[in-house]
Amino acid sequence: MKINVRDVGEAKVVEVEGDVDLGSSPAFRRTLFDLLPHSPRVVLNLQAIRYIDSSGIATLIEVFKDSQRLKMQFVLFGLSPAVEQVFRLTHVNRIFTISRTEQEALGTL
Amino acid sequence: MSTAPGCLHFRFAMPSDPRYLPVVRGAIGPLATAIGWDEDECRAIILAIDEAVTNVIRHAYHNRRDGLIEIECRENTEGLEIILLDNGEAPDMSKICARELGCAQPGGLGTHIIRKVMDHVSYERSAGGNRFVASKILRRTP
Repeated sequence: MKINVRDVGEAKVVEVEGDVDLGSSPAFRRTLFDLLPHSPRVVLNLQAIRYIDSSGIATLIEVFKDSQRLKMQFVLFGLSPAVEQVFRLTHVNRIFTISRTEQEALGTL
Repeated sequence: MSTAPGCLHFRFAMPSDPRYLPVVRGAIGPLATAIGWDEDECRAIILAIDEAVTNVIRHAYHNRRDGLIEIECRENTEGLEIILLDNGEAPDMSKICARELGCAQPGGLGTHIIRKVMDHVSYERSAGGNRFVASKILRRTP
């Protein structure tokens, strides 16, 4: 798994590539939790995720809850087929703010 | 379900180390494809089995990396059967439950996925360790 973070205005755009599983989700979790207190807006690109398991989904839920606690925005966009399928299986898509594109995700902030 | 003549049956062992999870996914995917499931269903089967192995690593071996997990994959006349064997702690049956869906709680998703994707799931404890069996029937369209 590779994670790249860049600044777009006040927002942090996080791009994740590869597999998010039990082995890689701690690094995924650490990156997102490290970013949250330092940016009012975190936008997560999931387009290049080939595989995500329940530990990755659990991380997204935890980050979302923390963003609410901190009164910050956490927006997902570019769901790959693998991500879409796991979201569908676990019914978590209703929890998150999901956009189709980065522009739309940044616009919703 | 038993193995039918002309059907694939293989078995391998791995340490309870998450870095081998991609190897498990790499084995299950082509088998599910060869049996006849489409891309979407293959992804779901890979996910369910990966979740089951992840549960063994987390709950039976408490994230220790030196436990033994044996994985048996059996194609049969109805579809696919996967058996996982381990020598870790017995599963707490009261905790093996799918969570309420759509709520913002991070736990219990793996069990839900396994039960939703596979047609039959069972857990057994014997003197030899824990035995998890999951099977899925291939429903052929006429």
